[in-house]
Amino acid sequence: MKSYARELAVAAVLGLLLVVLAVWAPAFFEPAPLRSLLAREAPTLVVACGMALVILTRQIDISVGSQFSACSVAAGLLAAAGWPMGLVLPAAVALGAVLGAVNGALVAGLGLPSIVVTLATMVTLRQGLNLARQGEFVNLPDGVQWLGLGQSAGQGMLLLVAGAVFVTLALALRHLAAGRHVYAVGSDAEAARLAGLRPRRVTLAAFMLLGACAGLAAVMNVVQSPQVQPLAGSGLELKVIAAVVVGGVAISGGRGRLGGVFLGLLLLAFISPALTHLHIEAYWEKAIQGAIILLAVLADAGRKEDSP
Amino acid sequence: MTRGAELIRAGWRRHEVRLLAVLVAEWLVFYYCGTSVNRHGVVVGFGTLERQGDILRHSCEIGLLALVLTPVILTAGIDLSVGSLLGLCAVVFGQLWHDAGLSVGAAAALTLVAGALAGGLNAGLIAGLRLPPLIVTLGTYSLFRGLAEALTRGAVTYTDFPAGFLALGQDRALGLPVQAWAFLAVAAAVWVLVHRTMTGRAFRVIGFSPEGARYAGLPVRRTLALAYVLAGVVAALAALIYTARIGQAKADAGTGYELSAIAAVVLGGTSIFGGRGSVTGTLLGVAAIAVLQNGLATIPVVIRLNAAGEIAGLLTGALLLGALSAEAAAKVLSQLRRRRQSAPGPNPVAP
Repeated sequence: MKSYARELAVAAVLGLLLVVLAVWAPAFFEPAPLRSLLAREAPTLVVACGMALVILTRQIDISVGSQFSACSVAAGLLAAAGWPMGLVLPAAVALGAVLGAVNGALVAGLGLPSIVVTLATMVTLRQGLNLARQGEFVNLPDGVQWLGLGQSAGQGMLLLVAGAVFVTLALALRHLAAGRHVYAVGSDAEAARLAGLRPRRVTLAAFMLLGACAGLAAVMNVVQSPQVQPLAGSGLELKVIAAVVVGGVAISGGRGRLGGVFLGLLLLAFISPALTHLHIEAYWEKAIQGAIILLAVLADAGRKEDSP
Repeated sequence: MTRGAELIRAGWRRHEVRLLAVLVAEWLVFYYCGTSVNRHGVVVGFGTLERQGDILRHSCEIGLLALVLTPVILTAGIDLSVGSLLGLCAVVFGQLWHDAGLSVGAAAALTLVAGALAGGLNAGLIAGLRLPPLIVTLGTYSLFRGLAEALTRGAVTYTDFPAGFLALGQDRALGLPVQAWAFLAVAAAVWVLVHRTMTGRAFRVIGFSPEGARYAGLPVRRTLALAYVLAGVVAALAALIYTARIGQAKADAGTGYELSAIAAVVLGGTSIFGGRGSVTGTLLGVAAIAVLQNGLATIPVVIRLNAAGEIAGLLTGALLLGALSAEAAAKVLSQLRRRRQSAPGPNPVAP
C-alpha cells in the first residue's frame, strides 16, 4: 500500500494557506493577477520536474540556474537575429540538453560527485555568460512576447505547456519501463546493474532531460517579457530543489512522486504573494521558505522510522 | 632511478605538491605579467608588497569558511549555510552594537554565541536527527539569509563603527593585515584538530563509514555536532572580520561565499565523499583561488576588458573541473591498464 502522507500534508498546508487568503485577502483570487502568477511559475514547474528526475537517480544539479540563463540569452539572441520561434525553441532545448549532457558525462562517465561537478559548471557557465554579455539585456523583436497571441492567451498557453510536460513526465515515471529504471538506479545502482539495467545511461539521460527542461523553461520565460535578463535564472536551482524536497522526493534517491513536487512548488510560490496580500512584510519570504524546507526534512525523519 | 628522482616522483603523486606547483606557476605568471613601473618610477601591480598584503586581506573570510568546512566535508557532510550565516551574524552584530547599545566587545562576543547557536541548529538536525546535511543546510541557507533580510527589512545598513574595531579589518600588525593573524591562528587550531587529535581521526572515520565509526566506539554524534558548531562560530568570526574590512554590516554580506569556500576545499584535495583530505590542501586551495582572483586584476589586458571577476570565476570553475577530471581519468586509465595486463595469457603464473 503506497502512502500518500506527504502529498496530503503539503496539500493540507496549501489548502490552509488558500483558506486564509480567501477570508482575509480575497483579492488574491482575482483571475488576471492569479493567472500572471501561475504563468510566472510555469517555467519553474518544468525545471522542477526535470530536477525531480535527477534527484530520483540519487544525483543533484545545482547548475540549472546557469543553464536557464544561458538558454534564455541564446534564445533571445536567436529571436533578435530574426529566427522564427519554431526554430528558436528546439535550439534552446537542444542547447540545454547539451549542457545537461556535459554534467551527465562527467558524473556518469567519470564517476565524479554531482554536487561538485555542477558547482563547477554553474560557476563556469555563469561567469562565461557574464564575460560574453557583460550583463547586457537582449531586446526582443515585436511578436516574440506572448508569441503575438496577446497576454491572456499567451499565459494560458504557457500553463498548458507546463501542464503537458508535468503530466507526461509523471505518467512516464509511473508507467514506462524507463521511468521505473530511474527509481531502480536511484534506489540501488549496483542492484540495477545486476538486473541488467545501465545505470550510467539512465543517469546521463536524467541530466540531459533536466537540461532540455531548463531550455524549454528558458523559452517559456523569454516570451513573457520584451527583454531577456541575463540574470533571470540565478537562484533558480535552490528554488527548484526546495520544491522537489518539500514535495517529498528523497534526496537519497529512489523515492518520491511528481505530484508532490507540483504541490510543493505551488506552496513555495504562493508564500511571497500571500505575504503581500496579507500585509506582512515580504522580507520574511526567504526565512519562511527555509523553515518550510526544514519542516519537510523533519517530516522525512519521522517517515523513515515508520517504513522498514 | 636515483633517490632524488624517486623522491620527486613520490612527491608528485601527492595532491598538495601538485597544487603547490600550480600556485607557484600562477604567482610567477602574474609577477611577470602584472607588475609594472608607472610614470613616477614607482613599481605598481602584482609584485608589490602592498598587493600581496591585499590578497591576504581579501582571502581571510572565504579562507576561514574553507578551513572549517574541511572537517565538515571530511565527515562526508556539507554546509551550504555558512555564507548566509555570515550575513546573519554581520546584521546581528550591527544591531547589538547600534540598536541595543552594547559595547563592541560585548556585541562581538554575543555574535560568536549567535554563530554557535546557528551552527547548533544544523548540528541538532544533522547529528541529532540524522537528516541529510545537503538538505538541512539548504534549508538553513535560506533561513539565515531570510532572517538577516527580515531583521534589516532588506534596507538597513549599519555603519560608523569605532576606529578600534575597523582596525581589525583595515590595519596592519607586525607587517601583516590584522585579520591575517586571526586567520593564521584559526588555521593552526584547525590543523591541530584535524591532524593531531583523536577527534580529527574520528572525522575521517565517520566520512569513510559512519556505521564502522559507531561500532568502533567513536562518539559519532558528538563529533559531527562539533564540526557544524565550529563552522557556525567561525562563520560568525568571519562576519566580524568582513564587517570591519568593509566598514558596514548589511544583510547581503557573504552571498555566494559558501560556494567559493567549498571550491577551495575540493580543489585542495579533500574528497566530497568524505574520509580523505588535509588542512594544508585547503590552505593551498584558498591561496590558488585568491592569487588567481587578485592577480588577474593586475594584468593590463584584463584591466582593459574590465572583466577580472568574470575571468577569475571562469578559471576557478575550469581549474576545479580540470583537477577533478584529471584525477578521475587517471583512475579510469589505470583500471583499464590493469585489466589489459591481466587479460592476455590463459593463466598467469603464480609467483
